[in-house]
Amino acid sequence: MSDAHVHQDWRAWFAENGARLRLIARQWTRSEADADDVIQEAFVRFWKHQRHLPGDPNALVVTSIRRAALDLLRKTDRRALREQSVYADSEMTTWFEPEEDPRKQALLDSLPTLPAEQREVVVLKIWGELTFEQIGAQLAISPNTAASRWRYAMEALRKQLTAKTYE
Amino acid sequence: MNDKNDFADDDLVAALRDLRPRPVPALVIAALAQELDAPAASRGNIIAWFAGVTTAAAMVVVAFHLASPSPATPDFQLVRAEQGPTNLELLQPVRLDDGSFARPLRLHWENTTHWEDRRTQAHFINYRPVEQVALIPLETY
Repeated sequence: MSDAHVHQDWRAWFAENGARLRLIARQWTRSEADADDVIQEAFVRFWKHQRHLPGDPNALVVTSIRRAALDLLRKTDRRALREQSVYADSEMTTWFEPEEDPRKQALLDSLPTLPAEQREVVVLKIWGELTFEQIGAQLAISPNTAASRWRYAMEALRKQLTAKTYE
Repeated sequence: MNDKNDFADDDLVAALRDLRPRPVPALVIAALAQELDAPAASRGNIIAWFAGVTTAAAMVVVAFHLASPSPATPDFQLVRAEQGPTNLELLQPVRLDDGSFARPLRLHWENTTHWEDRRTQAHFINYRPVEQVALIPLETY
C-alpha cells in the first residue's frame, strides 16, 4: 500500500484492498455479516480521519479494523472478548474464491485446520502485509511470538499438504 | 510449489498470496458510498436547511400559542419536565493569552419538557440538548 491513497478516490483504493481487509475483519468476527459491519465502520473511520496520519497506513487500517471488531464484540457479548481469536470457523473455505489448481485448493482447505492464533498471524502477514513487529503490536504479543506462530503454521501447512498429496 | 508437492517456505508463501479472498458484497460498498460520497458542502446545506426548518417550526409553535384561543386551539399543559444526567468531559489543558493555564471542561445535558392537550390527547415534547464549556484555572509552579 503506498502513500498514493492520500490523493486517491476511496472506491479505487477499496477496490484494490477491500477483499483482503474483509478477510482480516473475518478473523475477529463471528459471522460474515459482522465482518461486513466491522469493515464498513473501520474503513469509514480510516478514510475520514486517519489516512493522512503519519506512519504505515496499512497498519492504521488494520488497527481500525481490530478496534471496530472488538467494539462489536463488547456490544454483542462481553464474554466473547476473551475468546475473540479462537472461534471455530466452519466457513473458512467460503472466505476465498475456489481454486482450480488442486494444490491451491488443498492449501485453501488446510487453512481452517490451523489453530486460530496461528491462522490469525498468517492472515495478518500475508493479506495484512504486516511485519512481525506490527503483528505483535496488533495482537499484544512479542514479535518473536508472532514469528514463532508463523513458523508453526508454515510447518503445519506443509505437513498437511504433503499428507494430502499422498492420500 | 515444486513437482513433488513438497512446499518450500517461499513456495508456500507464494501459494498463499495467490489465494483470492472473496470480494466485498455490493451492499457494503453501497453503504460506504452513502457515508463517503456525501460532500461536506451538502452536509452543511442539510444542517442549514434543518436549522431553518427547526426555526420555522419554533415560530409556528410560538404563533400557535400566542394566537387568540378558539375551540380548535389545543390547550397544552405541562405534564413533565426533566433534566438528564450531565456528562462531564475534561479536555487537554490550554494556555491562555495572559500566560496562565486552564483546563477546559465540557458539560452536556438534555432538558425535556412534555406538554399534553387532555382534550385532544395531543402531546408536544420539547427536547433540548445543552452544552457549556467552562475553564478551570490551573496553578503552575
